[in-house]
Amino acid sequence: MQIASDGLTDVGRVRTNNEDSFRILESLHLFVISDGMGGEAHGEVASSLAVETIVNYCTEAKDDSGITLSEAPGDHWAEKTKRLQRAVHLANSRIYESAQKNLEQRGMGATLTATWFDNGRLSIAHVGDSRAYLLRGGTLQQLTNDHSLVAEQVRRGIITPQEAEASEMQSVLLRALGAHSEVEVDVDEVGIYPRDVLLLCSDGLTRMVTEPEIAGSLQAETNPTSAARKLIELANERGGIDNVTVIVARFQEEPRRWLSWLRRGSA
Amino acid sequence: MAKLSLMFEKKLVKEVPIGNRPVSIGRSPDNDIPIDNLAISNYHARVYYEGGRLVVEDLDSLNGTFVNDLRVERATLHDGDSIWIGKHHIKVDATADAAIPWDTGRKAVAPKINETMVLDTKARRDMLSQAAAMGERSQFSPGRAKMPTLVVLSGKVNQKEYVLTNKLTVIGKSPMATVRLRGWFKPPMAAQINQRDDGYYLGPGDKVPTVNGTPIPGPTRLNDGDLIEVCGVRLNFIFRE
Repeated sequence: MQIASDGLTDVGRVRTNNEDSFRILESLHLFVISDGMGGEAHGEVASSLAVETIVNYCTEAKDDSGITLSEAPGDHWAEKTKRLQRAVHLANSRIYESAQKNLEQRGMGATLTATWFDNGRLSIAHVGDSRAYLLRGGTLQQLTNDHSLVAEQVRRGIITPQEAEASEMQSVLLRALGAHSEVEVDVDEVGIYPRDVLLLCSDGLTRMVTEPEIAGSLQAETNPTSAARKLIELANERGGIDNVTVIVARFQEEPRRWLSWLRRGSA
Repeated sequence: MAKLSLMFEKKLVKEVPIGNRPVSIGRSPDNDIPIDNLAISNYHARVYYEGGRLVVEDLDSLNGTFVNDLRVERATLHDGDSIWIGKHHIKVDATADAAIPWDTGRKAVAPKINETMVLDTKARRDMLSQAAAMGERSQFSPGRAKMPTLVVLSGKVNQKEYVLTNKLTVIGKSPMATVRLRGWFKPPMAAQINQRDDGYYLGPGDKVPTVNGTPIPGPTRLNDGDLIEVCGVRLNFIFRE
């Protein structure tokens, strides 16, 4: 599978600092996004610490010693999925410990959504209300569950999705990295097909832009850079009340060998 | 950073930011907020952060410390609260403060929340159970969980029925597909079923499936008993107890 990807971040129209962080490791097919919280510059500290920890752990760690887990990764998950899950637990500890040591960082935290593509399969690890989406056959499907109060209320049938969108409690998270010494991490795996489009985004996008609009932009702009730019423009046009970060990755079938052989033959 | 504003007869007297050190309030001039008034004890009260919460503590003062209208020994403070000491009034400004957990114990009106924050475990439980008391209407509620199931009526596939446990279910010839189509010229991803917060949706893939005989125009929510047909395979979508 060939992957074309790009990511962009923007401070938005209201805030003065950008607390989002993201990284794309093209060689590994690793995509990570994080939205920080906490006063002063601490949101930025938390989100960049989260992203750095994930990237370092996934690229460098030789083994998994030294990490104690509150929840052991299930055996049925692929190796990459388990590694990603451990990386997120490690990021949680790093942020929590930093906030414990530095009083002024008290209360800092971050969301984290990381995906890792390997061998036809996308591993997903997730905490918070940033999102991963998959566009497939014109259908946009959210791959992650928001760990927010309103999303949980919708899942329990207490409020409707429309009530959730109008709620003043949208910013209340049930889970985030750094809030407690341990965190529950959602993991999942999905098979990837040619022409699938992966989107990772912070809530600065999904609060401003509807899912049909997101699907439309991803279909209209086949270049990942222009798709990312288009989505950020849309969020800002609608008011841009928060930082906006998007990563777009497009999966394509490898060009067939016999075709290139034919071309070479005819040249 | 949160701050305290000392007001006297509606006029701002002094503003003090709250950092890592407690802010002390009292008649003695060495307090962070000195108030020269006989009704106020030498070391009357202090305000500080504790576990991410802003707290006011009365230091056994003679005339007491009040938050809004309530006399307190200790209380968690929220943005917009007023601390009353004698005739002086200290406004709490915590708008810049992301991380004061919402205290469900107090009978305060829910503040408008612009900053992201995380609920602690207890507050989370309280809020969810409070909300649950308002009534449930979910097909996903625990206790009467129904498993969405595809029962194969006809066609060449690898199982007789499929319980849908994933967010994404693919019907196709691909080895990654949940419902594996067999036979020549079948597409790798003929159709898909996606789980959303409000139910299960059938969407097109390389083919446009039909539901109860009608081709779907786009993602279509499935109802109990729907008949799906794609690539010569007929499937019955049911919620099984």
